[in-house]
Amino acid sequence: MFKEKPIIVAAYIVCTVLALAAVLPFGWVVMTAIKPAPEINAWPPSLFPHEPTLAHFYKILAEEDFLRYVFNSMVIALGSMVSILFTSSLAGFIFAKYRFPLRGVLFTIVLATAVIPLEVYIIPLYLMVFHAGMLNTFPALIFPFIIMTFGVFFMRQVIMAIPDELLEAARVDGASEFWIYLRIILHLSKSGLMALGVFAFSEAWAHFIWPLVMVTSKDMYTSELGLATYQRQFYIEYGPISAGAVICIIPMMIVFALLRRHIMQGIATSGLRG
Amino acid sequence: MANMASDATASAAWRARLSAYLARLRRQHIVWVICALGPIFLLFVLIRVYPIIETIRLSFYRYHITQRNRPFIGLANYERLLEDEAFHTALWNTIQFATLALVLTLLLAFIVALLLRSIERAAPVYELLLYIPVVTPWVPASVIWKWIFDPIYGVLNYVLSLIGLPKLAWLQDPNIIIYAIVLVSVWKLMGYFVVVYGVGLRNIPDEILEAAELDGATPWQRLRYIILPLMRPLILFTVIICTIIYFNIFAPVYVLTASAQGAPAYDLKVVITEIYQNAFVFYRMGYAGAQSVIMLLFVMSLVGLQYFLLRERN
Repeated sequence: MFKEKPIIVAAYIVCTVLALAAVLPFGWVVMTAIKPAPEINAWPPSLFPHEPTLAHFYKILAEEDFLRYVFNSMVIALGSMVSILFTSSLAGFIFAKYRFPLRGVLFTIVLATAVIPLEVYIIPLYLMVFHAGMLNTFPALIFPFIIMTFGVFFMRQVIMAIPDELLEAARVDGASEFWIYLRIILHLSKSGLMALGVFAFSEAWAHFIWPLVMVTSKDMYTSELGLATYQRQFYIEYGPISAGAVICIIPMMIVFALLRRHIMQGIATSGLRG
Repeated sequence: MANMASDATASAAWRARLSAYLARLRRQHIVWVICALGPIFLLFVLIRVYPIIETIRLSFYRYHITQRNRPFIGLANYERLLEDEAFHTALWNTIQFATLALVLTLLLAFIVALLLRSIERAAPVYELLLYIPVVTPWVPASVIWKWIFDPIYGVLNYVLSLIGLPKLAWLQDPNIIIYAIVLVSVWKLMGYFVVVYGVGLRNIPDEILEAAELDGATPWQRLRYIILPLMRPLILFTVIICTIIYFNIFAPVYVLTASAQGAPAYDLKVVITEIYQNAFVFYRMGYAGAQSVIMLLFVMSLVGLQYFLLRERN
């Protein structure tokens, strides 16, 4: 875009500084997690531990059932992801490939809620779960995340690119509409589904206020909630807290490392946020 | 007689039209459409549309979750909002926070995205590194920063002391904590907007910029008269997205501010923490509903504004 020498030099300097600022806090928390307690509060602080230890990990895993919290988060994130992939692709398929009365109206109703954040209408959602006597259950924790407005819009865009002739050919061969959805649509929108899947997974995984109001006992904590609660109770014990933070970050980092290309591509095509 | 005949033909014509319509519906697989879309649409109504409308309705009631009596009180909740000091503080804090965080996030992201387009070869690596905070959930991200902000042993104060600046009580000083949360937010979200702007900038044809360069346009002129106008819709989009995210800031505030357990930090109020407190600590659902409606109105007016600005352009 700019080929002027000073701009290129400035580009390398600014971007390197900011990239370091983005990554260094992670290094710092990992180092804190493996430092023995006296070294954590040493002044001046040292970057690398002299005697690395896993004691903080043992401590937090013994005190708090963090693996259970991670498991709970995993159940919620996977449940939400599967449901969103199914509902978004099916609804996206219908909106993309069929003409029917009220199509525009229905699509507008679905889209109209896209920009309104969950925090705004969380009270009636809570009351629905409360009156159903479902507080503190997995279905309640997944409930607001079984559909995604943006997912429907996104999958509609993806599926519109699939040529109608393919569907017509299948119909001539006697395929049912459901078979077309299952065998043609899902197959041909794989990369879109992948991007949406990562997005849905991380949204449900990282959600905080919904589990905060839903959960009433420790065994249903998500990893987010477990960490937030722990660091409030033991706010001076940075060693175990850092170990907990590392445990909470690792799953998302694995997902990101494995699927980064799909995530970046998802943003490129639609502004998906991972 | 003539009347009956014309009636018969009319009804025959009507029946023919009806059957033609039904045949068209069948050709369009209407049964399949209803079976497939119906349940999903109902879920949208149940999980999105109904709660939004119900929030508005609740705001006109005194609704305490444990009390059977839930009287309609008209605008009383809103009148109370006008006198609620805590809510005013929360609203003002949120506006300050959101404005500052938004400007810093988007400005930095735009500059970085521009610079990355000049070092195209190295750009993917930088984008990847900047994206790591984006995929980190808010709670662990805030926890990391809480330790960095520690007033005594925190590494940020260590760095400040190295360059001869005084230590700051980042999370304890009511005047500073808002900047601390801005810092965390910019760190967390900048990478996303770098990638979004990167996509937009890559879509600007090189020929236009090269032609301008041949005509002697300075980098500043190219930015001002070519790049910025072309990026306008994308910038508007990001402003809206970013404002909504920052107005709903909750998790980092929850982690980084004081708590019932008496963690040593200032108790910074924002709108969502107020709604959370009223609805789920004091169970004043109606009053919290009125606060939610204020948020809803704000979000809707922003979206309306964006629509208006974009249409005016075309």
